Amino acid sequence: MAAHLICLTSGGGVPIFTRNKGNLKPLPFPVIGSLNGVHMFANSHDVKLLSTTTEDAKVVWKVFHDSITLIIVTGDDSADDIHLNNLLSQVCDAMVLLYGLEDLANIKNIERFKREIKICSQLIDKILDQADLLTVGDLTNAVDIIAAPENSVLQNYLDAFTEAADSPYGCLMVHGKIAIATKRWWTLTSKEMVLLSLLMSSLSPCSSRDIPVFLPNLSPSVPHRLLTFQLIKDVDVCVLCGPSPTLAQLEEEVGRFWRSGYDLLRSLLQLHPRNYPLSITLDSNIMGFILVNRESHRCLCSTHPHPVASSKDTIDSKRRLEILRSFYKHVMGTFFPMSDDPDKGQEEICHQAQESYISTDSHKCYTILSEPHQIFVLYTANIPTFAMRSVTQKTLSLLVKDKHIQI
Amino acid sequence: MLSVGSLLDFDWHKHSESREAFSSVTHRHHHRLKTFGLLEKPANVSPYSPEEVRYKLFVVGKTGVGKTSTVAKLTGNEIPKTHNETAGIQTSTTYWPGKITQLNKQVMFRLQFWDAGETSLKKFDHIIPACTERVDGILFIFSIVDKSSFDDLHQQISRFTSTNDDIVKIAIATKCDQHAHCEVTQRDIRDFENNWKIPILKIQNIQESSQPDFSELSRLLNIICEYLWYRDLILAGKVTKGGAVVGRRPQPPVPTVEKYV
Repeated sequence: MAAHLICLTSGGGVPIFTRNKGNLKPLPFPVIGSLNGVHMFANSHDVKLLSTTTEDAKVVWKVFHDSITLIIVTGDDSADDIHLNNLLSQVCDAMVLLYGLEDLANIKNIERFKREIKICSQLIDKILDQADLLTVGDLTNAVDIIAAPENSVLQNYLDAFTEAADSPYGCLMVHGKIAIATKRWWTLTSKEMVLLSLLMSSLSPCSSRDIPVFLPNLSPSVPHRLLTFQLIKDVDVCVLCGPSPTLAQLEEEVGRFWRSGYDLLRSLLQLHPRNYPLSITLDSNIMGFILVNRESHRCLCSTHPHPVASSKDTIDSKRRLEILRSFYKHVMGTFFPMSDDPDKGQEEICHQAQESYISTDSHKCYTILSEPHQIFVLYTANIPTFAMRSVTQKTLSLLVKDKHIQI
Repeated sequence: MLSVGSLLDFDWHKHSESREAFSSVTHRHHHRLKTFGLLEKPANVSPYSPEEVRYKLFVVGKTGVGKTSTVAKLTGNEIPKTHNETAGIQTSTTYWPGKITQLNKQVMFRLQFWDAGETSLKKFDHIIPACTERVDGILFIFSIVDKSSFDDLHQQISRFTSTNDDIVKIAIATKCDQHAHCEVTQRDIRDFENNWKIPILKIQNIQESSQPDFSELSRLLNIICEYLWYRDLILAGKVTKGGAVVGRRPQPPVPTVEKYV
């Protein structure tokens, strides 16, 4: 997604940072000034400026904590504003996560704030860089999972390890997707889980980390410590701790607790990027899907549904995810309500749609809402349109009923 | 200062007898270092495995000088394309086989680099103690295109070390590819080395094309390992500080117990 993100102080309109994605030239300063100016002008006349569209672009404004204004300028995809508002909220939560609400809501020294808020750049870029993401949690507000048959055994390893860390919060992550987590980890709010997963995939790989994090809902002002350990390449165990144990202390325990699980971890990793068990065979026309559970805030996404790539795979996996994302944005907020969105948008929808589809020359998409689940399936153009409904229903029940898929 | 090559064989990676050791830690004939998860370690093909010695190194320096890039280079990770402030502590591990010339003995050095962003260092109290606890060496990083980062070294050195501690101190000059913008002169470097008795190594943290410069990397890692080994000899009383080796066959230090597979 090509986009400009601008962050300014709400009080004085001082630019804090700008991020540009997708080979765009930075916006000239007068343009930034005008964009902020029009918002401030409206504000001083008791008008709340939310968004505007030009011929090919969309601008959305949002003020957070009476302290910072975020402006995003991006190509107009005709989707509901909910999605861009959601993105801006995520950016703000990312700043809370790594910088703390107190310091964000009361900026004392602007120059210092400008310097220190750079700590969030990597995470913010990851949120903006949707095209490069392998996960969809940022969009669905549900955390991505990887449903491996090994998960049930590995759960014991994780529970023992987090107990040793003296923490109830722990999870095992593969490429930013949760394989397993402790009961308490699942009690984090969906935005916290999604942000922590995004944070993990935004950081470059390393052996271990000790990152102070402020959980936007649970503890926005008091930091916890996120300790992560790379067990094998691309598989990290994460725990949220208080002041103890130290990173070195817990790292010494890693071998003792996880060594015998080495082979399980290897085979867990093999499931990426398919993300769901090999024992499930889906219809051959399916190129990918997103399955969301609105209650548990988990989602499962795969664009590699078939073990052997067939010759008719004309659309590569990256493009498949792009299509699924845009189909999701097209449907959610317009036909289907975004149930957990605090902002407006739902009252405009007077009837409840249950299913929706699109059909193009190169692909077809079908979605079913069946509380608490939602499934979005991407098909090849070969599938007859009348067949999509029953195939989607079958796929949904196949995935939801599988014992390895804890969604 | 220790003269380069007095303890370790710096050309060992060119010998055929080291092929096995190096193929276990590098991709495709010395092209890039392999990275290992905490549960992994270099595979041993030979019946006798080289002794593993573990060291903790703390990486310090002004914001933006290239601490994270330096660590990435020394551990075989991808060098970040843009500068990002590191949040909290980030540790990375590298395995490096070395040969102790005097003992004619192979050793597998396991270096763990502790890298922490300046903002976190200042904001949170637990970061510095965590990084300096039982540290074996400190790498002071500065950028040759930023004089203030070089001037800052004095402060950093007195902040984290004292004159009679036994921590290995090495300074690393980054961005050495940008000669044109060089702000730190050869003379500055010489004076610094003479005053502090701390060696300054040079590094270029650039994305390497098809043929990475393995000799630069191996030289850097050998120097770091040599200083660490020298320190162990001093601690074991086998040499006097700044003096020659006492006795002919010093026993190496007792290695840390191997905890991982």
